[in-house]
Amino acid sequence: MNVRRASTERELGESGSVVTERPWNVVVWNDPVTPMAVVVVVFRRIFGYPEATCTHLMLTVHHEGRAVVWSGGRERAESYCVKLQVAGLQSTVEQAS
Amino acid sequence: MAPRLFTRRRDGRVEVRLSAEGRAFVGASAREVVAAERDAGHEWGAALSAPIDPSRDADDPLAVLSRQSGFTSNAELVLATLEEAALTDAEAWAWFCTLQVALRSIAVANGLLDDDAWNARGGALVEHVQTIQALLFELAKVL
Repeated sequence: MNVRRASTERELGESGSVVTERPWNVVVWNDPVTPMAVVVVVFRRIFGYPEATCTHLMLTVHHEGRAVVWSGGRERAESYCVKLQVAGLQSTVEQAS
Repeated sequence: MAPRLFTRRRDGRVEVRLSAEGRAFVGASAREVVAAERDAGHEWGAALSAPIDPSRDADDPLAVLSRQSGFTSNAELVLATLEEAALTDAEAWAWFCTLQVALRSIAVANGLLDDDAWNARGGALVEHVQTIQALLFELAKVL
């Protein structure tokens, strides 16, 4: 079918490799009032990450001012971002560079 | 004197020991979140409507609606369970989220966005923030 062929051709790069959309990152930003323990609990509850991963991400936020806590499709990224905001963390989505 | 909270897991629920003063404090925070969601001009509005995707002029309306619904339903669940001695896990999570939203909203509304601004403040505002932080620490232990 012509439609399918056209679509497939758009997805192929010049080298013949499949071109995929860049993933979307969920970013959590540091703030001076949120306790570290709160951040760890929120990461564990929302993403289900192990405690060590949550602590590592929390420390990245604390020391670097921000951390990418999840990457993937745009819809899920926005959904996670909303969950983080509802839990009181400053969060945004951005497309990976 | 700031209210003190004691929590522990018991029979699958979260036991909450908190004075009447402390419950009034939590209730006031939840009522403020509900009020801020209903009033676009509320001083907490900036924190509650922060952009999801800053690269776009306007966020996806469904995501915005989902966020509003999340804030409000959590805060209303707190108000509905304010006098309970034992909370379900979901209720305890709603308390936790609502208090954290209140904490962040206060920080944004008062310009406490970096360590210098925080260190320069004092008095009742700092005491209020520290009370919320103490409640959050205690809830974090059981979540």
